[in-house]
Amino acid sequence: MKTFEEKWTAWLDDQLSGRELSEFEASLPDKAAAQAEKAEAKKLGGLLRRELSTHPLKNEEFFSHQLRERIVQESGGQRRERARRSPTSSWWTIPRLLWAGTGSLAVFLICTVLVMRQERPAEESQYLTQILNARVDPVVSPNATVSIFEVKQDHATVLWTEGLQSLPADYAAK
Amino acid sequence: MHRALAVVISVLVLTMTASPALQAAEKVWSGLVMAENVAAPQPVPSELTRIEGLLKKFFGYNEFQVIGQSQKTLKTGQEDWLATSKFFGLHVDARGETPGGYVLNLKLYKEKELLLETEAKLSKRSPLVIKGPQVGGGQLLLVLVVQ
Repeated sequence: MKTFEEKWTAWLDDQLSGRELSEFEASLPDKAAAQAEKAEAKKLGGLLRRELSTHPLKNEEFFSHQLRERIVQESGGQRRERARRSPTSSWWTIPRLLWAGTGSLAVFLICTVLVMRQERPAEESQYLTQILNARVDPVVSPNATVSIFEVKQDHATVLWTEGLQSLPADYAAK
Repeated sequence: MHRALAVVISVLVLTMTASPALQAAEKVWSGLVMAENVAAPQPVPSELTRIEGLLKKFFGYNEFQVIGQSQKTLKTGQEDWLATSKFFGLHVDARGETPGGYVLNLKLYKEKELLLETEAKLSKRSPLVIKGPQVGGGQLLLVLVVQ
């Protein structure tokens, strides 16, 4: 058993027919006003359908729309990731600078120690004067000998000759 | 950052390349010295004060007199010069510069007679003393010092 409201809605939508239609129209107190209301409702319905109807997405359009959204999301994420890893923008961070400085200092110290170790004997020999060779005239001083002394305490080198020909005091003249 | 690094490297390179030039042009003093023991010794000449202790201790004399000397400024390390007294002559022939000094060829002459020849690497920080012949009651010494 339909209520009046149900029958009214069905009448407005032209869903009633036959005996049901005639009985309902006979039950209306003012048929002319009801007809006018029906016409208004139809007009409003038509207007609403025309103005407010949304263009329904076809199946493939809906799919490609979703795909585009997904691509946009993923490419945005990749951009953020790339920016985070980008060497130009953020490679010289403070911790990396500190590590680089410490590493360089360590390499420098190691090299310095190695070089100093290698050069120490050479430096010592350069520090004192070295006699490369020495000879006395065997004809003038046949028994002469030569000795070399490195006096480290006085930072000097002495070439000591023995047996050179002795000379009179006159040779001490300026 | 890169600019600062470049500046630091440039300063280091300039310092390293400039230092050999700054080391050039040093004076070598060469002297003929008579060492004697006397009652009233004269003060040691200023050129020998640096090695006064060594001379007294090593040779056992109390007076040292310079009888001939020469001071040569070395620019190329290839110069030669002569320090002479009345009877002795010391010819010094520089044969190049080494990292610590100079290679020198030394010849001691008594008049025209060669008594002694030696080759030495004279260090800039280490004097060379050569004991020459006995002269009267004293001793002839040859001294070379980079000043």
